[in-house]
Amino acid sequence: MWKYLLKRFVLMFPTLLGVAIFTFFLIRVIPGDVVELRLAGDRGSVSPEALQTERARFGLDQPIWRQFVVWIGGAARLDFGTSMWTGSPIWQEIRLRFALSFQVAIMATILSVLLAIPLGVIAALKQDTWIDYAVRVFSIAGLATPSFWLGIVLILALLIIFKWLPPMVYTPFWVNPWQNLAQLIWPALAVGYRYSAVATRMTRSAMLEVLREDYIRTARAKGLVQKLILSRHALKNAMLPVLTVVAIEFAFLIGGLVVTEQVFNLNGIGLLFVQAVAHRDYTLIQALVLLVAGIFIFMNFLMDIMYAWLDPRIRYR
Amino acid sequence: MAINPAIDSVADRLAEEPQANWRAAVMDFARRRPLGAVGGLVVALMLVTAAGAGVLAPYDPVTVDFGAMLARPNAAHWLGTDAFGRDVLSRLIYGSRTALLVGFGAALIGATGGAILGVGSAYFGGKVDLYVQRVMDIFLCFPLIILALALVAILGNSLPNLIVAITIPMIPRCALVIRASALAIREMPYVDAARAAGFSNARIILRHMLPNVMAPYLIMLTAFLGQAILLESSLSFLGLGVQEPTAAWGLMLRGAAVDFAESAPWMAIFPGLAISLAVFAFNLFGDSLRDALDPKLRTL
Repeated sequence: MWKYLLKRFVLMFPTLLGVAIFTFFLIRVIPGDVVELRLAGDRGSVSPEALQTERARFGLDQPIWRQFVVWIGGAARLDFGTSMWTGSPIWQEIRLRFALSFQVAIMATILSVLLAIPLGVIAALKQDTWIDYAVRVFSIAGLATPSFWLGIVLILALLIIFKWLPPMVYTPFWVNPWQNLAQLIWPALAVGYRYSAVATRMTRSAMLEVLREDYIRTARAKGLVQKLILSRHALKNAMLPVLTVVAIEFAFLIGGLVVTEQVFNLNGIGLLFVQAVAHRDYTLIQALVLLVAGIFIFMNFLMDIMYAWLDPRIRYR
Repeated sequence: MAINPAIDSVADRLAEEPQANWRAAVMDFARRRPLGAVGGLVVALMLVTAAGAGVLAPYDPVTVDFGAMLARPNAAHWLGTDAFGRDVLSRLIYGSRTALLVGFGAALIGATGGAILGVGSAYFGGKVDLYVQRVMDIFLCFPLIILALALVAILGNSLPNLIVAITIPMIPRCALVIRASALAIREMPYVDAARAAGFSNARIILRHMLPNVMAPYLIMLTAFLGQAILLESSLSFLGLGVQEPTAAWGLMLRGAAVDFAESAPWMAIFPGLAISLAVFAFNLFGDSLRDALDPKLRTL
């Protein structure tokens, strides 16, 4: 098993390298560059010499393979350089925003799991009754509702019904937890609905599958109470696929909050990515994509460990 | 005419059968899966709305009328007007064209591309399969919206480019599912037979294997329809998708709809409802289709 885990661990890196290569060349296809945007802005022209010296400062005049080698060499030592737009170190740009997006993702995860598991289990137990239909309609509606619109409606409801608006300025949790939660609970709710819908559907279908297994029939036959059958035998075995979708959704949430952050005026990773693309800030885009993809790949690795640990039926090659 | 009535009647029945079967299948689906039938009905209504937008919409969707800015829903404007005095209902009706065009365009190309890639990868196996899978793995690391955003930045935001930007992130997700089904089909005797008969690889993939992954293909297709509509509305909301003055639901939620949300909530509420209803209907239909075709397959 250790060999299997080691192999999985090592396999993360080629994928990450692939992401790095793909991103590096993809963003250089986007028309326009950061130097032009920054110096010329939307008014007037700048002398070609000034553009040249500025490009040279960023190494943008070098052959593209050379730029890549320099960048990937730095990235391997976790040195992502400075933002081409603001000039400040990438880590400084990302740190606080990451904390924000990460917290929203965690809160949404907690909310959705708390909602999804009971709903999914009940729907599976009462398959094809009105309870099942109601849960299914509720979760399909969750998949269908754009989280950014749900955000707008939430703000609107707070404003019209309670005459109250959530705080608009971000306060870190350790500074003022109350203020922090009052701001971030709403985006967490808005994305949490969709998220819980995904998890509810997976819980339901996994439970349905497990409930048909022989060992459940055996448990029933030997007269175990329903509660024990569910908690000890069924739920435990149905949790793995649910855990997988939760992990993957979580990984995607950190970078995928783009539109919701816009609605709630949150300065998170998604908004930073949109700005970075608009500014053609190559170094920042590269770092952000590596971060988001890295989290996704790492979550997948964690799931592999979980599977290996929890499910002895998996064979390791 | 009727030389042999018995044979004639059999021939008649045979001629009618395909149609009767088809109708019976639809009725059967509707009876056994009421939720799916409701979804299908809403989808059909949307198609009619989009096709007949010119007749159904009470106003022109892009004509600006400063005399009727931000009008509340009333007899003349059932769902009110926006900050330019444009009729919200008419813009919703025309917006269904954008949504369906992008939805069907992206889902069809994405699912078909994914199916060909998935089947091809499974058919050739070995090195080809390995490399295709590694490339897919790389694409799968990106959240849908991040990849679509970058692609829109590269391609520019015309409607066809928007469809391409939404399609590309979907292809690997479909290829993954279809490949799994195709791996089993590759071992079927009829594929061996086709190979022994000396058919070309392309012919075996397109004529012999693709038709047999129809069930997962259709399921992925319907799942993508809703997702594509959601993605388009998200991009348009960010200002990176469909551009003004074209009517699109995501675009209708942008700018003034948020600024005036308190005084003119109809601008923010109805387009969102339209998106939700459309995606809801496609998902409902797709779900029931999956249950009917291949209950083991998991989509989202």
